[in-house]
Amino acid sequence: MRFRFCGDLDCPDWVLAEISTLAKISSVKMKLLCAQVLKDLLGEGIDYDKVGKLTADAKFESGDIKATVAVLSFILSSAAKHDVDSESLSSELQQLGLPKEHATGLCKSYEDKHSALQDKLRDTSLRLRRLDSVSWRVDYTLSSSELREVNEPLVQLRLQTQGAEPGSSDTTVVSVSPDKFRVLLTELKQAQAMMNALQ
Amino acid sequence: MMEILSRISATDCVKLCHRVVDGLCGREPPCRSDYSTTWSLEEWLQLLDFLTSLFRLAVGNAIPDEEVLAKLSDADHSHADAVLSVLRGRWEEIRRALLDRTSSISSATLQDFDWQLKLALSSDKISSLNTPLLSLCLDVRENGALRPITMELNREEVSTLISSLEAANKVVLQLK
Repeated sequence: MRFRFCGDLDCPDWVLAEISTLAKISSVKMKLLCAQVLKDLLGEGIDYDKVGKLTADAKFESGDIKATVAVLSFILSSAAKHDVDSESLSSELQQLGLPKEHATGLCKSYEDKHSALQDKLRDTSLRLRRLDSVSWRVDYTLSSSELREVNEPLVQLRLQTQGAEPGSSDTTVVSVSPDKFRVLLTELKQAQAMMNALQ
Repeated sequence: MMEILSRISATDCVKLCHRVVDGLCGREPPCRSDYSTTWSLEEWLQLLDFLTSLFRLAVGNAIPDEEVLAKLSDADHSHADAVLSVLRGRWEEIRRALLDRTSSISSATLQDFDWQLKLALSSDKISSLNTPLLSLCLDVRENGALRPITMELNREEVSTLISSLEAANKVVLQLK
């Protein structure tokens, strides 16, 4: 059996197994758990004390708690990754044995955060060096040891870029002659126009 | 110094001077092997040094023709005229080379740049990414060595960069 929320692949066995664990907690508590997992996925941090309290009724061991968080995290992120709508997700989860009330609750939380989740995934997708900040200064050179009368402007640019790993930022300071600067700006604008045309 | 220049004809002298200016402007300098029968290595180096510094000084300090001719007084008339004609003809080019040298004093300069616009389709995080990305590669010359600086900009970063550059460009245009 293939599932859309798994990217049109079989559902992983461990997910299948843990869906029955999910069914052990009440649908209301599972919805609250979903909210915690979504917070984690959106980078807002998960409150483990709360997770512990929510699962206390069902007498979950720490292994069960981890499995619950992992399976919810998988379902929500994988569904967002493959852009599955909440109704399809609900029916697929019910096919996998999740009770209807649980599935509805989960999908309601998913629907609310669907676009935020996708934005987050898009943001965290692989990027080579990104641009952090730009500073500039325009100088007017009057004279130099090479040329007694220069009288030309010169642009100083400072570009701060950040690599794929956090904390790998790099600063480049470069001076650009006015002619080259104009060409650079014109070409960047051409690229921007093409970029906007893609929208 | 200039008397050894008369070992070649005035026409050859013009050719040599053009090659010297080429070297000054960052292209191929004259080749020693072309003149190995005319001058000894020492004479060759001295002559090259003399011509190069003459061109640089003349343009750098905007020396009038008479003073240039005075520096060439020990050459015969046709050779001095040949040097002067090259100097006049390529004045702007030499000036631009000196401008480049000026801007590279104590700072890295932008030599060249290339860009590439691409559409990122999919990633391990999300199956339909569809995000345009601009790869920008800046060749920065620092202490004679070229260092490539690459970055990947999304739509927001491109517009940040452009608005920054626009602001700087406004100031540059006012100065012109």
